[in-house]
Amino acid sequence: MLETRGTPTVAIGLVRTQMERTRPPRGLWTPFQLGRPLGEPGDANFQDRVLLHALGLLERRDGPVILEDFPDDPPNWSDTAGWQPPSLPAIEIPDSPAGWKAALAQEMAALHPAWQRACARYGRSTVGLSGQVPELWAACIARLLAGELPTVPPHETAALTLRFLCDDIKAMCSEAAQADGTPPSSRQIDAWFWSKTIAGRLLIALRSMALKSENNALKTVGGRFFVPTPYLPPG
Amino acid sequence: MARLEDIPQPTRDAVATAACPSFATTPFVPGPPLAERRVAIVSSAALIRRGDPPFPFGSAEVRLLPNNVPLNDLLISHVSINFDRSGYQRDINTVYPIERLRQLAAQGVIGSVAATHYTVMGSTEPSTMEGAADQISGQLRQERVDAVLLSPV
Repeated sequence: MLETRGTPTVAIGLVRTQMERTRPPRGLWTPFQLGRPLGEPGDANFQDRVLLHALGLLERRDGPVILEDFPDDPPNWSDTAGWQPPSLPAIEIPDSPAGWKAALAQEMAALHPAWQRACARYGRSTVGLSGQVPELWAACIARLLAGELPTVPPHETAALTLRFLCDDIKAMCSEAAQADGTPPSSRQIDAWFWSKTIAGRLLIALRSMALKSENNALKTVGGRFFVPTPYLPPG
Repeated sequence: MARLEDIPQPTRDAVATAACPSFATTPFVPGPPLAERRVAIVSSAALIRRGDPPFPFGSAEVRLLPNNVPLNDLLISHVSINFDRSGYQRDINTVYPIERLRQLAAQGVIGSVAATHYTVMGSTEPSTMEGAADQISGQLRQERVDAVLLSPV
């Protein structure tokens, strides 16, 4: 669409069949995970190779359409042997809004040191979509579980307030899991989060609550955007 | 290795069978050597600045990312929960390679980095994005950009 309007473009693609069907003027297919178009976080040399391969297609004269495959897999695709997740207190799975509030607060407090180390190590955090500081998350969750529909700016509905609160909870846990040593693979983080943390079980409980809600937006958003399908409970 | 067969179901089938736009023409605009080009990024990660409203589901808007936005303020607000975010959590360049572009410009590999970059919601139906394409294209011309890197998630 931009090339039609006069500017040369090159697209990185993560799904080869989509590039074959879309036929961009110039495209580089990269065999990386969805969510990692440049391949390897923290590896400037690897990212440069991807970028230079893509930008190099702009100098070619044999198009359209030019589609190339990036030749290498990212260097750290495998699971990290010996990775130890952050230690968590043993907490029984709650059965009431007040119980979830206390359990989440306890787990967040336990994860906080690792999260702080991750923030310092990487010089960044991606927590912040919810519009609420972490100290307020558990109370907001408890209100939603109790049937209230709070909205927190910049969100305009309870459904989106909760959706992005879920994103923040996942982000904090994932960042904490990457605090020390060689970072785990995304599969290791997901397996740990969805099977070992109170936060993961809470998101599954929130989805169940949303699906029973009379609020259609919450029902739709909760059903699709709280828990990835591979981690939904059976049935 | 991370190829189509490595994507968990049902996302694998969803991306493999996703409707893709087809275009009547195959434009191909030439340009000068890379070392003379000004490069901009268009990211489909629905990036927002911390505190801004996320992109709505199905949004056809484009948001501008000035070159000087603090990188720690940029958050993915893409609707999908079925792609990895742990890479971007460690390094924004995994999805938005702005520091890599700056380095290539400093090395003289590319001419310069554009003053403005662009982000859209990647899951939006492309046929609704003509207005966004007009807006991006106008800004590209104004800044004399002659290379665009399209970066997905």
